Amino acid sequence: MRVILKTRPRAKPKIPIEAETIIPQNFLRKNDVRVYEGNKERKLEDLFYITIEGPAVSPDQVEVILTGDTGVIKRVGEYMNAGRIIVEGDIGMHCGNFMSAGEIIIRGNADSWLGREMRGGVIRCEGNAAHYCAAGYRGEKRGMRGGTVEVLGNAGDFAAEYLCGGDVLIHGNCGDLPAVEMRGGTLTIGGDCHRPCGNMTGGTCRIFGAAHQFLPTFRKNGSEEMEYAGKQHRMAVYRGDVANRGKGTVLIRT
Amino acid sequence: MKIEDVVCTFCGCLCDDLVVEVENNRVISVENGCTLANEKFMGDHRLKSPIRREGNGWKALSYDDAIRETAEILLDADRPLLYGWSGTHGEAQSVGVHLAELLGAVIDNTSTVCHGPSIMAIQEVGHPGCTLGQVKNRADVIVYWGANPIDAHPRHMSRYTTYADGFFVKEAFKERKVIVVDVRKTESSAVADEFVKVERGGDYAILSALRAIVRGKRDLIPKQVAGVTREQLFRVADICINAKFGAIFFGLGLTMSPGKYKNIRNAIELTEELNRHTKFTISPMRGHWNVYGSNEVFTWITGYPYAVDFARGIAFYNPGETTSVDILKRGECDACLVVASDPGAHFPRACAEHLARIPTVQIDPHVNATTHLATLQIPVAVTGIDAEGTAYRMDGVPIRTRKLFDGTYPSDFDILGKIYEQVKEVKGS
Repeated sequence: MRVILKTRPRAKPKIPIEAETIIPQNFLRKNDVRVYEGNKERKLEDLFYITIEGPAVSPDQVEVILTGDTGVIKRVGEYMNAGRIIVEGDIGMHCGNFMSAGEIIIRGNADSWLGREMRGGVIRCEGNAAHYCAAGYRGEKRGMRGGTVEVLGNAGDFAAEYLCGGDVLIHGNCGDLPAVEMRGGTLTIGGDCHRPCGNMTGGTCRIFGAAHQFLPTFRKNGSEEMEYAGKQHRMAVYRGDVANRGKGTVLIRT
Repeated sequence: MKIEDVVCTFCGCLCDDLVVEVENNRVISVENGCTLANEKFMGDHRLKSPIRREGNGWKALSYDDAIRETAEILLDADRPLLYGWSGTHGEAQSVGVHLAELLGAVIDNTSTVCHGPSIMAIQEVGHPGCTLGQVKNRADVIVYWGANPIDAHPRHMSRYTTYADGFFVKEAFKERKVIVVDVRKTESSAVADEFVKVERGGDYAILSALRAIVRGKRDLIPKQVAGVTREQLFRVADICINAKFGAIFFGLGLTMSPGKYKNIRNAIELTEELNRHTKFTISPMRGHWNVYGSNEVFTWITGYPYAVDFARGIAFYNPGETTSVDILKRGECDACLVVASDPGAHFPRACAEHLARIPTVQIDPHVNATTHLATLQIPVAVTGIDAEGTAYRMDGVPIRTRKLFDGTYPSDFDILGKIYEQVKEVKGS
């Protein structure tokens, strides 16, 4: 089944739409799907032109395609556990929150908290991701726990904050403090970043660009060869953050 | 008439030892106050009546009309924002939160541009704090980090730290060591025993280095960290470790520099490390006189201290998403009620521009920068002068502010209560 949701023109286009109900399984059951526009609850058809093509007997046979002015739609794919969502343009905050399975493909940019605390599944963002990509919620001790987030462009500040499990791959640059409070999992940064891995207690961070303002509380621990993007690189290995327990590993291209 | 033990409603110190002389419903002199207190009590530039923007000018209107129009603006909005609250008393703040819930609005206070990051850090790792009384009576080491109390909290040093003799610190000026950490020399750094000059944005690295030193990893520290020599870092760490009781006070130099709440978290974790060796506490230097109160009141009612979004009928909190600056910058909100603050003077330009585009109502005694962006302004009494109510000092101690005379203006509580009643009548709940 293919569900195509095209945004309708709105009188106040900057008011965010909260749409955690846009997940494949909700269209399989043909539920009365509702979303919020600001403080008003709306029917899905009030805000989207809806086209449904073909049948499906399980959520993993459902593909949802979002088109139009989608950059202010929040929480798409929250708690998703099967199927596929394709966003033809940009997507708003919290896309793929807590998702456990399935696939989200974003052709444009993703706003903050992409894949927040996700447990499984795959998110692929072909543009840039804003702050807190693959991170945790405020005050939460564990961020992303499983699955894969891949960003072909750049990511903002605090990428992979509290990362506990799974793989995060940022092909471009990261902002300030990527992998801060990291506890597990793997973060790979293809480009440059600032102050990576502050207060990390576990996991592995690989940086193939420059690590600006690298913190003084990491201890050098040899070097090793590593492949990235089809090339071999010599990586300096550090252990830290010794301001904390110092059991994480950071590899930086020499 | 001279009134004693008056509470100053300017900064978070809430000094409660002022002597104020009142004559014909006007303050004519202030004793014991700092320059900021004198200006607050003696200032006399109040707006006379509610005003509404009409074309390029302003037109006076009655309180009843102003309240009715405000209620209509808020009811029409799909994403109203209620911002400010730190310059009024707790009772009015409480009405504001209930109003936000009824409207499905976002309610936020000035923490969003000051110590919001401190609260976020405290939510992550807790708060080893204490009252200012404890600091005065016990602390022999004081650290001011990213704060300049001589300018911003002029009596902090004389009432609680550097110059304040305490029960266990008989000659404070001789017995207390003061460390100031900042990116530039200030009046406060001039009285410090140790001034640590940090490169801009280098606080996080310095804090991490100090944590490592306190954990016994001195061998790891390079010759210089963020512009500070290894020797000075060792010296500062030793002063702290050898203190009987230490207190760190931090300001916006730490909360609003790169890293924001992670700087505060690192400072709290340094404090925790120091507590393995001695007694150490950490506290924010809160700015507005009742910004701590707004955090308290919001938390009692909603569970969250600021940036609370009621759009879905339940409270949701996510600084960066539900904070006023972010909402205004993205152009999300379609109406704004500003109470007891001046975002026009302190918010980024893009936010001020959006405030000017949408219906903005301000409830404030004075004409300020926000007046020039507003559609409507309702003048009210000044808490601590002609209105009274509860406030919270920067260390969380509640203090009742006093009314010095009966003025002609209604209080924030009165105005907000009437707006609430009108909204409730329409909403039917």
